[in-house]
This record gives sequence, C-alpha cells and structure tokens, in this order.
Amino acid sequence: MNHKELKELIEFLVEKDIAEFELERGDVKVRVKRGNETVIVAPETRGAPVPVASSAVVMPTGITAVPTAMPTQAGAKERTEESGLHIVKSPIVGTFYESPSPGSPPFVRPGDEVEAGSVLCIVEAMKLMNEIESDVAGHLVKQLVTNGQPVEYGQPLFAIRPK
Amino acid sequence: MFKKILIANRGEIALRVICACKELGIRTVAIYSEADRNSLHVRFADEAICVGPPRASESYLNIPAVISAAEIANVDAIHPGYGLLSENANFAEVCETSHIKFIGPPPEITRMMGEKEKARQTMKKSGVPILPGSEGVINSVDEAVEWASSVGFPVIVKASAGGGGRGMRVIRNEEQLPDLFHAAQSEAAAAFGNGDLYMEKFIERPRHIEFQVLADSYGNLVSLGERECSIQRRHQKLLEESPSMQVTPQMRRSIGESLCSTLTRIGYVNAGTVEFLMDENGSLHFIEMNTRIQVEHPVTEMVTGIDLVKSQILVAVGERLDSVLPGEIEHRGHAIECRVNAEHPETFTPSAGKITAFHTPGGTGVRVDTAAYAEGVIPPYYDSLIAKVVAHGKDREEAMSRMARALDMFIVQGIHTTIPLHRQIMADPEFRAGNFDTKYMERFLERHKETKAEKRSA
Repeated sequence: MNHKELKELIEFLVEKDIAEFELERGDVKVRVKRGNETVIVAPETRGAPVPVASSAVVMPTGITAVPTAMPTQAGAKERTEESGLHIVKSPIVGTFYESPSPGSPPFVRPGDEVEAGSVLCIVEAMKLMNEIESDVAGHLVKQLVTNGQPVEYGQPLFAIRPK
Repeated sequence: MFKKILIANRGEIALRVICACKELGIRTVAIYSEADRNSLHVRFADEAICVGPPRASESYLNIPAVISAAEIANVDAIHPGYGLLSENANFAEVCETSHIKFIGPPPEITRMMGEKEKARQTMKKSGVPILPGSEGVINSVDEAVEWASSVGFPVIVKASAGGGGRGMRVIRNEEQLPDLFHAAQSEAAAAFGNGDLYMEKFIERPRHIEFQVLADSYGNLVSLGERECSIQRRHQKLLEESPSMQVTPQMRRSIGESLCSTLTRIGYVNAGTVEFLMDENGSLHFIEMNTRIQVEHPVTEMVTGIDLVKSQILVAVGERLDSVLPGEIEHRGHAIECRVNAEHPETFTPSAGKITAFHTPGGTGVRVDTAAYAEGVIPPYYDSLIAKVVAHGKDREEAMSRMARALDMFIVQGIHTTIPLHRQIMADPEFRAGNFDTKYMERFLERHKETKAEKRSA
C-alpha cells in the first residue's frame, strides 16, 4: 500500500464518517480510529508521516518499539509528568487489552475513580491473561495505549491523578 | 528463509547475530533490560523490546518475558547466543511449543549434554576417548575410594548437573577424600539443586583443546578443526588460538571422523563444540560438549573463512550442509583471540562505568568484535567481556605480531581493561614458545609478581 492509496483510504473514511476501521493487506496493517488523539506512527519505510485529515494509526507488522517511532508515548509522558500524574507502567511484555473479553466494556475509562488494587486492564503474555492493578488510588486521567497494542516492560499504560 | 529473528542475548554476541541476519536480509528484534537501553545491539536491531529491569534473572533469563516479546514481535526464530538461555533445554522446548524455531540442537540433545556424566558415557559408548573415571554417579565415600584406587590418584570429583568450577574438588590421596567429597556434594546441591558427583582421573598439567562442529538436520556433520584454549584464569578462558601446536593433522582427522560418527548417531544438529583435555602424553580425553556457539568462534572463522553464525541460521532454516559449506574445508594460517574484559589487569576487580575514549585497532588481519563505544556505559550487572580482538596471520609468528600491534593501538579510557595483561602475554617467552597448559596463568602471574617485587626492591 503506498502513500497515495493510504491517503485516499483515509479521505474516504472521513467522508463517510467511519469511526473505526481495520485492514490487513500483505505486510501492511492499517487501523484507523477517529477520536480526540492525533497519533501518527511512521511506517516501516521511515518515510515522512502520512498527512491525515483526522487521526490514524498505521501499524506495520510487528511492533514499532524503536524509540523514534513512538512520538505519542514521549508526548503523553512529558505532559503528564509535568502535571504530577502517576504513571502506571506495564510490569510485563505482552499485548494490552482494555476489557476482560472482546466486545465487553473496558475495565476503566478516563474520568473514573480507581482504588489501589483496582484492575485497570489485561496484558496477555503467552496465552495467559494477566490482570494489571493500579498501584495508587485516584482519578484516571488518561489511557496511554490502545486496545490490542503490544507493550514492553515499563511501558506507560495509564496516567492517574493520585488522591 | 526466516523473515524475522529475535536475539535472546546482549552485548557483543547480540551484535554478532545482528550482523549475520543483516547479511541474510533477515529483520532483527533485540531484547534489552532497562540497563541496556542505550546498547549497540538495541541501536542496530530493526525492532527492540524492553523485557525487564537490569538483573539478568528478571530480564534476559526471564523465559516468559523473552517468549512474550518473540510473540508480540511475531518472529520466526530465536537465536540464543552463548550463556544466558543458550543451553537451557526448557527454553528450547518452550520455543518449540510456541512455534518459534530455536537456533540450536533439539532440546533432548541439549539436556543430555547438559548432564555431564551422561554425556561422558554416551561418548564413551561411541568410542570417543574419555578420562578414566567412575561409571556414572558415585553414591558414597566408599564407592569413591574404590573408584579412586582403580583409576589412580590424583582424581577430581565433579558435579553431574553443572560446571563452571562448582561442585569440583581435586583429591590427591585417600586421607583427603571423605571431606572433599562431602564438600563437593554440598556445593553441587547448592549451585545446581543436585548433589550428584562423578569422578575422573585428574591431569595435573592438561591442555584444553576443543573441536568446532556443524551439523545439518539431515544427519550430516563436519568438524571444522580445533582451538587451543589453555590460557585460563579460574576456569575462564582469556585467550584462544587455532590451530593448536599440539594437534597433528592425523589427530585432527581421526578426532574429526570419530566426532562425526558419534554425533550424527545421537542426532546432533547445528553448531557445537566438543571439549577435550590433553594429558602430558599428548592423548585427548573428552570432558564435555557445549551445544551452542562459543565466545571464541571467531578464531575458527578466521582460519576457515566460514561464517559460523550465518551457518547456524542456514542450518536452522533447513539447508543441507553441502550447500551451507560448499567445497573442502581449508585451514589457512593461524588465528589468536584475546578476550578484553572490563577488569583491572592485575587485581581483576570488575571495572564498570563510562568509557570516555574508545579506539579499536584495524588493519590487515585484525578483527574486533565489540558492543562497546565511546561515551557508552558498561553496566555492572553482566559479565565483564567488552571486546574480542582477533588477529590472523600466515603463521603463529605473524598472528602474534599482529595481535601485539593491535593491542598497542587499542585505546579504552574511563574504565580498566585487561589489554595491558594481554600485551604482556604476547611478549612472554613461554607463551611465544608454546609452552603452556591450563596452569600457565598461575605461573605467569607469579612470575610477574616476582618481577614487580624485584623492581621495587632494586
């Protein structure tokens, strides 16, 4: 899939007001979720990010865990660290899931109050679903990763304003 | 061909595997602990995943974390390097179950060779000479006395479940035996969870000579010649070379044939090294087999022109030996490797910290394998090897003079290294003449202490 095709696809989705869309073709996987965040992850070729009318997440096969390709993480971390928020980090390597099972509502949403020990999400590793608990009580400000995203050890998952 | 390989290691060997993958057009995935975030192997891999905090047990040795990383990165194979999980049969099995190809021999082979006593008996049955010793594990002090008398003192008891010098005791007469036997048992139980001991004839002045082999998955195996690794301190190799001055072409051929038939019969696949001790009469005795690529593999690569790591990958993908190694195996010239450690060259205390200046030697016949760099930090959590300097020449004289020149031009500032020690060894008449055995370093360090003392009192 080249830049032109990708641009056309995104314009089409915007025109038809499609909120979420996922496509896998060859070794390119495209997932578009239109919402508040503007997230652009550079594709494997490290070319200039595709200009988009609305938000898009382009996921090459495998994860782009090289630091240069994670602008959101750095951005979110900077902003949240400045405001004294507590970051919940992943204690294991795996895949992040925001709900207990596909289709069911997420464990938590931004705006929720959480307690120390509240289950925030699942990180799946080697077919085992590990429930990740909050280490503080407070107000859940932000979710820093998306559903189904691969996460590494120490990756920021949630920002919480402690009580 | 594999599309993606995860390297379950760090430091210079991780970089080495990345080199082979790049040349084969394979995408690489590095894993790293938080202490290795700015490592070269992370820098040069296509993807990198943090798997844990600094401690190896929680990161590089953490099997669920490593496998999880392999799964989310969707890799086809894992190269385990050396040390760490490379000889962990459980890890190899988990890879298999997770449908990830483990680049190495089948788990059963790793397990069998990991049980030292079993490995000895297997080799013995196939006609490979082993040191005279007990037939299996020794269950009591009385049995130990019986065996020692039949084999003849001095003897050594060793842990069946492990190595690295632990659970080992040299016993020189019957009076010492009971205490030393019990000490070895407890040490082995503490280190490996298994206090089983076996006994071997002990050679006072052995040479350590090992043979590199490579096998495909179709029952074909070849020996790529030997490496002489007698220059050791506390059972850790400092310097290796090939060929060994003690191995005749006839010995090389006959050991090669013997290993070929034995290892193909047990179903060995991929690279491996068979270690022998040579006694004072020049006879070789099998001690153990390492079922992985070794630190000193560049020595064999330099004399044969073969890329061993690439060969490992090709074998794992299913290529036949005659296409991985076409043509005759030739041995050209002589190669020496010096292991440069981040240690004080006289006291050997580890020297972690920031490298402020780093200049590696180059030029004809010199190769440096390293993951260190200027402004890089050597962390305190892992082994102290920071670079391998390998010199090749048309003969041993030229190899030594190239190594001396290379060591002279290797600059590392900010931490201590053993470069000065290696320069002294290269200049040492005993080393140059080839007069050494595994006790060489003890004598060398004694001599140097004496020389220093003399100089001071002069």
